[in-house]
Amino acid sequence: MKPFDFARPETIEDAVAMLDARPAGHANGSALLAGGTDLLTLMKADLSAPDRLIDIKRLAELDNRIEEDEEGLTIGALVTLAQLEEDPRVTALYPALAEASSLAATPQLRHMATIGGNLLQRPRCWYFRNPHVHCWLKGGDECQARQGENQRHAIFDISPCVAVHPSDPATALLALDATVRLRGAAGERELPIADFFAPPTAERCTETIIRGDELIVAVRLPAAQGWRSTYLKAMDRKVWAFALVGVAAALRVDEGRVIDARLALGGVAPIPWRAEAAERLLAGSDISAEVISHAAEAALDGAQPLAKNAYKILLAKALVRRALMALSG
Amino acid sequence: MEPSRHLPVTLSVNGSQYPILIEPRRTLLDALRHDLGLTGAKKVCDMGDCGACTVIVDGKAMYACLLLAVDCDDREITTIEGLATGNELDPVQEAFIRADAFQCGFCTSGQIMSLRALLDANPEPDDDQILRAVTGNLCRCGAYPNILKAGRLAADLQAQAASNGQ
Amino acid sequence: MPEIRVKPKQGENGTELELIEDEGVRAWAPDADLQIVGQPHPRLEGREKVTGRARYASDVRLPGQLYARVLRSPYPHARIVSVDIGKAEQAPGVRAVIHAGNVPRIPWYEEGVLFESTVRFVGDEIAAVAAESEEQAEDALRLIEVEYEPLPFVSTIEEALAPDAPWVHDDGNIAGEPKTYERGDPDAGLRDADVTIDAAYSTASALHNAFESHGCTTFWDGDSLTLWDSTQAIFVIREQVAEKLGLPEHRVRVVKHHMGGGFGAKQIAWKHDVIASLLSRQAGRPVQLMLDREAENLAAGNRNPTRQRVRLGARRDGTLTAIVADIHQASGAYRTGGEASNVSGTYQTLYNCPNVRTEQVAVYTNTGPAVAFRAPGHVEAAFALEQAMDELARTLEMDPVKLRRQNYSEVDQLEGKPFTLPEGLRLSYDRVADAFGWGAEKPPPSSESKRRGVGFAAHDWSGGTGHPPGYAWIELNADGTADVITGTQDIGTGTRTGLAQVAAEELGLPLDCIAFRLGDTATGPYSPVSSGSATQATIGPAVRAAAAEVKAQLLEVASSVLEVGADRLSVRAGRILVDGDEERSIAVSAVTEKIRPHTLQGRGARGPNPEDKTIRTFGAQCVELEVDIETGEIDRLRIAAAHDCGRIVNPTLVDSQVVGGITQGVGFALTEERTVDPRLGLVLNANLEEYHVPTVADAPAIEHARVGVPDSEANSTGAKGIGEPPLIPTAPAIANAVYDAIGIRFREGPLSRARVVAALAEQRAQGEGSRP
Ligand SMILES: Cc1cc2nc3c(=O)[nH]c(=O)nc-3n(C[C@H](O)[C@H](O)[C@H](O)COP(=O)(O)OP(=O)(O)OC[C@H]3O[C@@H](n4cnc5c(N)ncnc54)[C@H](O)[C@@H]3O)c2cc1C
Ligand code: SF4
Ligand code: FES
Ligand code: FES
Repeated sequence: MKPFDFARPETIEDAVAMLDARPAGHANGSALLAGGTDLLTLMKADLSAPDRLIDIKRLAELDNRIEEDEEGLTIGALVTLAQLEEDPRVTALYPALAEASSLAATPQLRHMATIGGNLLQRPRCWYFRNPHVHCWLKGGDECQARQGENQRHAIFDISPCVAVHPSDPATALLALDATVRLRGAAGERELPIADFFAPPTAERCTETIIRGDELIVAVRLPAAQGWRSTYLKAMDRKVWAFALVGVAAALRVDEGRVIDARLALGGVAPIPWRAEAAERLLAGSDISAEVISHAAEAALDGAQPLAKNAYKILLAKALVRRALMALSG
Repeated sequence: MEPSRHLPVTLSVNGSQYPILIEPRRTLLDALRHDLGLTGAKKVCDMGDCGACTVIVDGKAMYACLLLAVDCDDREITTIEGLATGNELDPVQEAFIRADAFQCGFCTSGQIMSLRALLDANPEPDDDQILRAVTGNLCRCGAYPNILKAGRLAADLQAQAASNGQ
Repeated sequence: MPEIRVKPKQGENGTELELIEDEGVRAWAPDADLQIVGQPHPRLEGREKVTGRARYASDVRLPGQLYARVLRSPYPHARIVSVDIGKAEQAPGVRAVIHAGNVPRIPWYEEGVLFESTVRFVGDEIAAVAAESEEQAEDALRLIEVEYEPLPFVSTIEEALAPDAPWVHDDGNIAGEPKTYERGDPDAGLRDADVTIDAAYSTASALHNAFESHGCTTFWDGDSLTLWDSTQAIFVIREQVAEKLGLPEHRVRVVKHHMGGGFGAKQIAWKHDVIASLLSRQAGRPVQLMLDREAENLAAGNRNPTRQRVRLGARRDGTLTAIVADIHQASGAYRTGGEASNVSGTYQTLYNCPNVRTEQVAVYTNTGPAVAFRAPGHVEAAFALEQAMDELARTLEMDPVKLRRQNYSEVDQLEGKPFTLPEGLRLSYDRVADAFGWGAEKPPPSSESKRRGVGFAAHDWSGGTGHPPGYAWIELNADGTADVITGTQDIGTGTRTGLAQVAAEELGLPLDCIAFRLGDTATGPYSPVSSGSATQATIGPAVRAAAAEVKAQLLEVASSVLEVGADRLSVRAGRILVDGDEERSIAVSAVTEKIRPHTLQGRGARGPNPEDKTIRTFGAQCVELEVDIETGEIDRLRIAAAHDCGRIVNPTLVDSQVVGGITQGVGFALTEERTVDPRLGLVLNANLEEYHVPTVADAPAIEHARVGVPDSEANSTGAKGIGEPPLIPTAPAIANAVYDAIGIRFREGPLSRARVVAALAEQRAQGEGSRP
């Protein structure tokens, strides 16, 4: 890690001001430190070299609590994956999120990792993480993965970058229709998680639309009456690996008829991927093995595998079928 | 590049206070191993990929390699060196010896800290909880079955000790 | 004093002299009534390890100690045009910087030097810095300016062999002489066979990932050097570092009390040993240089990837008529010296077959140098041979265990000598089949989408035999306790404990009266590298010989104390027993106290192995598993293992070796694969993030069916090694079980999720459907 300064603001406002400011000599700007589990790995590989870390874990206003009201659940940005895995309201009403959290990383990391940081973690693409490679996402000319070792990469080609988003909870949150509340120099805004994530573009080489002066304050979940949800994850080994494919499904079923469906896939695109065609197919249908099969096909419609990752299509279809079966049973 | 400032930090480790002067970039693991001379926690990957650096911070098992020492100044840290009382081993340590739960021993302090944290939070874990508690601790020597046995044995030893104490 | 004899023999450099030393003890009878050897016992160093006090190379803290980092090549092949260390030298905290321009040209590898002017793999050493902290050393590395002229490179065996391939070294891409072996007439054997198998297999490069990386802490006192090194071979390091630095051996001391695993990669002095020593000399301070995980995985060894074409010929009844193997292996950028994996061996020896040919060609590639990795060569070969045997069994519609029994060899077919324990493999077959329930009906799979399969594989291993030389000293103290002093090392296998048990047994003392000293060239006598599963079988007899010598002296003294002839005395459990007169037994300490402050001392040397027989270790494993035909997940692994390792000195330790070896075998079978981008020459997973070793949740259920028949002709303890063998048959047994489950043969390892799902899809596309 390169040297940096360390600051501990008292208020969110101070933190925002610090993010916004560029003190002399701080060419690389500041970065927020939450659990540090992604940021420090980037800094150790010299992929990120902020001049100052702004520790937000002790900001009194930034919550590490989960609050319930009639509109749903508010999850403070500092809530850890361990909390999400265990919280009785989350396990009961939003099982996809609890399951995704419990399948992420390891017990130690889940104690450290916050939900805010989890949404903002950078790709695990092995070219991106290798300091010797100056790939497109790092400002270079070329994506090395497209013609390279792309077995862990995206099957939906929506950006010059084909890295996959590494987060499990993000996939679950997408299927649960979460919103993200941000606070920055221009005040507060709240947007659907589907709009929060956006494939990297040449102008914005990141996976979200968060502005440089903004903090995630909370993640909010709508009320969950009638919904059932689940998250399934395929890994290279039994635990402690990023998803080859993750599937989050949420269904509202009434007497065998699907009223509403939401389906999200992880490990398939640079952002958590919403399978809308499949959702449309499911909505209003009488749930059956056949419908589920069609939905699984529809979910992967438009997938364009790279040379070494066609297997992900099959894997994703299998997981989609399983997740829907589990929810309809 | 400016050499960064050193900051004064007081680490509270195994019940003792250690005031030290460190760079903000020093990890808790390096601070323990270098500034405090507590070399029981091991550096294997330095990236959150192995578990050998596991210590208990405010009651929870965490990776010391991904924590900054400056970030730990008001937290209660327990390391492997803090488990035994005098010559008397912690039940988890005792169980590791009896169950032959290590070979080279390099992952061992991390494994023990994960199980210690489990038993602190849940003195009567089932087998699945024991397994889950060490899913974040690799063992390249493959001592896994005996690590699980040691976890079970430790829970039993601790329960015995508690009932004898009553 | 034991007798010694000098025998001339033909070595590589003409006539060499072999010293033959007499152990002076006879082997324990197979049914000898032993008290301590054969009993389970926890490891002697347990307390140190569970309290965090065990000191490893990276735990050494000396006053004024500096920390070193190495600048490594970012290119797979490049000429170094210039190196400028000016800025680095001025950086805060920096105390020494070395590179080709300011150190002697110390010869290294085949034709090279310590800091090469041409770098040949990503990770090759260019310069090094010692600073007050690791962070400052890293800062300084960033300030070293290197100008490279990138050169064309090769990453794979196929690229290296291409007609217009760029050369890794000036003499081409073939690393050393190809190794060929032939007996009988293999072509005729294939021609005359009723059935033949002809299949090409490949194995991936596996990374050792010992938990403790390579590294050392060095310290100069005048012109004497001490290295606390993470090594399997303190005396090899001493010899090689002394040679590289032009020091006499007695000025170099190598210490290693504990080591966080080596798995074969820590048998030689690596460049970092000398780099740390040079930095330490330049700075006049102790220097610690530990490789980080990336460097460990780039530049400190790997298991060579292989391509193996296997041809088998057999008669209808299963009798093998020919075994032919064409083998390519990638040695990486350098040959590290005598560590090339013998992939051919098991083809030549495991099965009885009159017609065998193997050809093994090693190629250079611009990747890190390959070195021994737990059962080098055999692990790779078994993946191919043992699957080919399975293919043969299926073709013949024969039970795979029966096929192997049909081709049983009781002799070493290379030398024409019988084995010391010819039934070793048969016992393994019997015990493992029994423990596993081989041939019993398979229970139904746990769910509809799953298929269950069983698989079998056997192995032999030329290691585990032990060999001279190797020495031990014992001092029986006046209070009746004993110090056993050797120069061997405990690499995590439990060497201390197993050897202390041998000493305790022979001395007749309880184990807690023994202090076992090892791991320091300054305090113990010569011992060879801890590799080849040899340590127990090499040093055990030396320890026993030393103990026997001490015991003879003890009984001599006891005889005067008790006024009974020494021939009527024996020692057991810390007491001197008088034959036929229980009343008169006295404590050992009562005897030794009488001669205080004298002590009794013995020296033991490892004697020669038998000349007319070959020692070998064998084993076999059965695997049961499930494959999910929708998700490709391999699950519910159950493995039974039986391995002939002679007498089991300590079942606890042997069980742990078996379990540990199998666990690494599961990794080799399913997930472990170094991934290199051939366009960039970069290793993409030189970490524990994307290089997936098994976790606790991946560990199979293992049953170890102990064989435990003493091999009394092998050595005086009857024990052979067990460190490496358990890893050998695991991967092919798993692959065979997968075939049994889903009818797909994986000739390319590992059987990763991606490969399995892709193969299932292809199978479905071909409309074959899965076998019931
Ligand atoms: C070995 C390993 C395995 C892992 N496996 C998984 C896995 O299987 N599944 C999975 O989902 N994740 C996995 N992760 C990722 C892990 O969950 C994330 O690193 C973690 O959630 C990030 O949270 P943090 O609090 O540590 O963030 P930090 O590292 O502190 O921050 C990450 C980024 O977010 C920014 N940030 C943090 N909080 C805020 C905020 N409130 N507002 C604005 N910006 C903020 C930081 O500035 C930084 O850029 C793994 C990580 C590791 C190291
Ligand atoms: S996938 Fe993205 S991160 Fe990976 S090499 Fe391509 S551009 Fe870089
Ligand atoms: S050293 Fe911290 S997880 Fe590996
Ligand atoms: S005991 Fe060696 S890594 Fe676990």
